[in-house]
Amino acid sequence: MPDPSGLTDDDLKAALLELGVKAGPIVASTRALYEKKLRKLLQSNGHGCLNGVEKDELYSDSEEEEEENGEEEDKELGSEGEKEEAVKQSDQAKQGSSQFPSGSQSVMPDGESSISSQAFSITHMVEEMESRRPLSTSSDTERELNVSNVQKHWSRSNRLDMPIVDTMKNQSLYYTPKASPYKWKMKLTQEPVKDTFKDMFPNTDATTTGIYATRRRPIKGAAGRPVQYAYPDTPVSPTTLEKREVERRLVPIQIQILVFLIVTCLLYLIYVCVEDNSFGPSFALLDSLYQGSDSEEGLLLQAETQDVPALSGQE
Amino acid sequence: MSTTSQKHRDFVGEPMGDKAVTALSGIGEILGKKLEQQGFDKAYVVLGQFLLLKKDTEMFTDWLKDASGANSRQAGTCAQCLKEWCDAFL
Repeated sequence: MPDPSGLTDDDLKAALLELGVKAGPIVASTRALYEKKLRKLLQSNGHGCLNGVEKDELYSDSEEEEEENGEEEDKELGSEGEKEEAVKQSDQAKQGSSQFPSGSQSVMPDGESSISSQAFSITHMVEEMESRRPLSTSSDTERELNVSNVQKHWSRSNRLDMPIVDTMKNQSLYYTPKASPYKWKMKLTQEPVKDTFKDMFPNTDATTTGIYATRRRPIKGAAGRPVQYAYPDTPVSPTTLEKREVERRLVPIQIQILVFLIVTCLLYLIYVCVEDNSFGPSFALLDSLYQGSDSEEGLLLQAETQDVPALSGQE
Repeated sequence: MSTTSQKHRDFVGEPMGDKAVTALSGIGEILGKKLEQQGFDKAYVVLGQFLLLKKDTEMFTDWLKDASGANSRQAGTCAQCLKEWCDAFL
């Protein structure tokens, strides 16, 4: 593979696409990032390719790996064809499990290499199934579906393992004990579960190998988090949340209108009071007011008379 | 409310307009200066970079760490801030 910094923008984009990375526009500021990403993927690919091609050959015989290891490494360094096969195989696996674009690709070969001695059961099964059926053009899609389905199921159960194995490739051997029980469990659970799957999911098409894989809801409780049965409604932007809060605190609009009307009436009455006797029709109103507030009027008159002598005294 | 800071809430609560880079959650004085030196003088320019990377928080975090020397926490906070802003306004 050529050096990423020597590639043109388009080539870089194409190379990333091959590895399953949908890159955005490759501009001055983003180029460095994508080059780094490509390098990282190439390195992981390089490690993975070697192991992946071994596994390709191992379908026929799982015991003669050590001999084939040496042979394969010599062959690979020169030939592109085997590399393509391995990439193709991992591509097929990838198409099924779109969630792990680069992870699955690098993990699958790595996982296989680390558990090589324990006979990778899923691919073994797939290979057995295939050998029973006549090979035709559709077998490729079958294999793709099987591998992808199996990969999906395996990847779900090994979700915790995947990122760990991906990041620590050198120490992948440490994780063999963890990975192998998963595999054995997979193998065991596969056969008895076949019929119940049919019952549970009558809509799924029957694959030729009888392996079904459906998406499983992530178990929130298992990770120690509380199980959340009710999910929040449609996401609301912070502005609408704030608006709602403010609306809650404000006085309801009905009460506002009522208060407004009362205040206008009061003001009108006061205005009418203040006006002199020039308004004919308002006489009756004034009379009623005077009658209503007799004591007040009396006080006012007294105040006026007191004021007047005070004023006259000052003058 | 989730565990977001006041700065995060302030930024995500309204259109960023012409806010400075230091208005972004996770970007303080020093990081802000470094970004400005590289030409990212306003928050919207950093937003531009985020959008160029197709709103991928991982890639943006990597870029920010390279560009400004931010640590993982700061870069992650900034990415999350921008992502939420985009969800609300874009």
